[in-house]
This record gives sequence, structure tokens and C-alpha cells, in this order.
Amino acid sequence: MQVYLPIAEMSVDALLLLGIGFGVGWLSGLFGVGGGFLLTPLLILIGIPSPVAVASGANQTIGASVSGLIAQWRRGNVDVRMGLVLLAGGFTGSALGVQLFAALRKMGQVDLAVAIFYVVVLGTVGGLMVMESVRAIVQRRRTGGTPKRHEHFWMHGLPWKMRFRKSRLYISVIPPALVGFAIGILSAVMGVGGGFMLVPAMIYLLGMPTSVVVGTSLFQVVFVATNVTLLQAVQTGSVDVVLTMLLLVGGVAGAQFGAAFGSKLRGEEMRALLGLLVLGVALSLLWGLVRRPDKLFTIGPLL
Amino acid sequence: MSDSGNPATGESAATATPAKRDRVFLVVVDDSPERAVALRYASLRVRNGGGRVALLRVMEPAEPMFWAGVGAMMAEERREEAEKVLSGLAAEVQEITGGMPILLIREGDPREALEALLAEDPRISILVLAAAADGGGPGPLISSLVGRNAGRLPLPVTIVPGGLSDAELERVT
Repeated sequence: MQVYLPIAEMSVDALLLLGIGFGVGWLSGLFGVGGGFLLTPLLILIGIPSPVAVASGANQTIGASVSGLIAQWRRGNVDVRMGLVLLAGGFTGSALGVQLFAALRKMGQVDLAVAIFYVVVLGTVGGLMVMESVRAIVQRRRTGGTPKRHEHFWMHGLPWKMRFRKSRLYISVIPPALVGFAIGILSAVMGVGGGFMLVPAMIYLLGMPTSVVVGTSLFQVVFVATNVTLLQAVQTGSVDVVLTMLLLVGGVAGAQFGAAFGSKLRGEEMRALLGLLVLGVALSLLWGLVRRPDKLFTIGPLL
Repeated sequence: MSDSGNPATGESAATATPAKRDRVFLVVVDDSPERAVALRYASLRVRNGGGRVALLRVMEPAEPMFWAGVGAMMAEERREEAEKVLSGLAAEVQEITGGMPILLIREGDPREALEALLAEDPRISILVLAAAADGGGPGPLISSLVGRNAGRLPLPVTIVPGGLSDAELERVT
């Protein structure tokens, strides 16, 4: 069933889009992540132009993250104060990221930049995940101690300290704002929510307790991803409403299944598989960067 | 995550004062306001009539996390939190009864974890539950345990009204 995507200016099988949305939604329900980091490269791999894939990708994470945020909010697992500091950085970062994206688009380098970003980020994330899972599977029989986080850091000397009661922290607002800023840029340029990077950053860099990390990261992701989608739609005009609707429908259904599945699965094997999938996507993007193009020269209208 | 099925986890047997009778009152430690009433009732019964108090804390099950290290740290912090809650309450129990309570930590759905514990631990002789004092029903554990399945429970259940004051508790124990 072919549908025409008005912004991407191409026809795609609607069932394929629903399927991708469902699969990514399933994973996001399973692991409590937005899934944009898989969705956007998958869209690029099926031939959606990168600007449209990125601009539409962040939108997908909103659907999954809003329902997660509501659940975490009810349980009181959101540090609103920390969330607002992250968000201040996140809004700045995402606004700047969209400018960067628009500038790259004007120069005609969006495809290259997005692909490089993804190869680097997905390569790192996938590699770490596989390593982590292999270690966990090997260690299952032995009793392995969990790594302790650092207690003292250079960052504790920074000014503008603030008390974050829920996180039981008294730290400068600069590190959380910087973390939010970096995630905001990634969110705009890569079309992701950024939770998969934000959660470890909150734990290992900011030293937040794990109980509030998930809820607070969702708080940041929901608003930053909304901001990115809005800015991309207004500024670059590359959010495809047909594409996003189809993906969202698949995604919401998939997330329900994934969440129900989550408690019945062994984490390590699933995580190893997901890590391999992430690595596979990174490699195919890398291959697209280095292989000799089918047509060495193409003629087309400049944007 | 993987050690939750082990019945020996999270228990610290008391060595102090041998009980006059070896009956054990089990109190479920949730976050409701009426848990204090159940705990006090059980402690007073033990002080007045002998036996021991057992405290059960059911942790939320660990949801799978994207990063394994984060998940492991989360499980550890939940466990520490549960141990902190229990050791705080254990001190209260010890003050009243003079003996250390049995501390039990389980993971999962509270009702399922409780039923599994009752089935596998023969030491427990009475389950003490407190009913919520406000109008919204007695609480999920009581409604599910003392409904249709009440006849199939492996032990008697004592339901303490959550609104009883300390003086009233003294009188009925």
C-alpha cells in the first residue's frame, strides 16, 4: 500500500512505515527509551531524505516519552528542579542545533553531517552495549560488583550551587545545564530524544540517584523533542506529517507490547541483540559514506 | 535481579532474647500510613504474649534498562533503600518487644510476593494487615487476600483498623 509523503516527496509502503514504527516502539517500551536513535537511521536507510528523517524522528520519541513521563510523575520520580535546569540547557542547545541543521542544509552537507554523527554515536553506543552485555553474560555465574560512581569531581568547585532535594545533590547548575545543552544539540541534529545518552550522563557525571534518573530524563526529552519538532517544522519545513502520523500509530501500539513484554525477558540477551542491531545500522551508514556511488554525478535543483 | 528467588536473601535472624513462644507475626511494610498501626499492634502482641515480629518489604521489580550498568546500579540502590526502611522499623520493634524482628526483602508484585512467602516459610503463623482508615476501601492487599480466597489461605489473618489510637491498641493487645 503506497502512500505519498508530501514533504519527503516520495512514495513509501505505508505498511513498512507502520512496521518500523511498531518495531522501534516495541524496543522503546521494552527498554524505556524513545527509540529515535534507531528510527532516524532506519528511515534514512529506506531512502527518506536525511533532513526529513531527522526532523520527523524527534517527534516519534514524544509519543513514547509522554506516557512514560506520566507514569514516572505519578510515582514521584521526577526531580522537577533538576529537570528545569536541564531543560534550560536543552532549549538553548536544541535551538542552536536547529540553526546548525538549517545552515548545513543550505550548504548541502546535511546528509554527510547526519551520517557522520550517527556513525560515531551509534558505533560508540552499540560497541559499549555489546561489551556490557557480554560482560554481564560472562559474569552471571560469578558475583560481580557494580562499579561505584565517583564521589568527588573537579565540578564540585564550580559556582552557582543549587540544592536539588529530590536528587539529594548540592551542585553547581553549570554541569546539568551543559549536559542539557549537549543533548539538545544532538536532539536537533540527529532527530533523537537523547534519553539513551542523558541517563548515563545524569548518573555518572551529575551523580543523581537512579530512582529519579528515568523520570527526570523523560521530562527533559519530552520538552526538548517537542521544541525540536516545532522549530524544525517552522524553520526548515521538513517535518512530514503523513510520515510522522504513520510512525506514531505503529510506535504507540508497539510500545504497549514492549512494556508488557519487558518484565518477562532476560535483559542481557535482549541488550546484546539491540547492541548488535545498533552496530549494524552504524556499519551500513558507514558503508554508505565510503562506498563508490552508483552514479558519480547527479544533476538536481539546489535547495 | 537474579537472586530474588533465593529464600535466604535479606534475612537476619535475631539472636537476642529467646521468645517465649515461637509464633511469628508478619507485617507487610508498604508506604501506607496505616503500616505503623499494624506494626505497633504486632509489636504489642509480641511484648504481651511472646513470639516474634517479621517485617516484609516488597521492592518494585527492576524494569529492564537500556544500559546494563544503570540497571544494576538501580537494583542495588533499591535494595539499599529497602534495607534502610527495614532497619529503621526494626529499631522501633526492638524498643517495644526487646527482640530483633525477622527482616525479609522480596521483589515483585506485593500480593504475589506475599503469597509466595506464606507458601514457602513455615515459621510465619499470623499475618497482620492494617485497613486504611479513610473511606477508599481497606487497601489492595486486604481486598485481594480476604476476598474469595480467604478460605484457602495457609494461615490466619488479623486485620487491624488503621484508625486505632495507641491507647486503643494497648487495650486490645
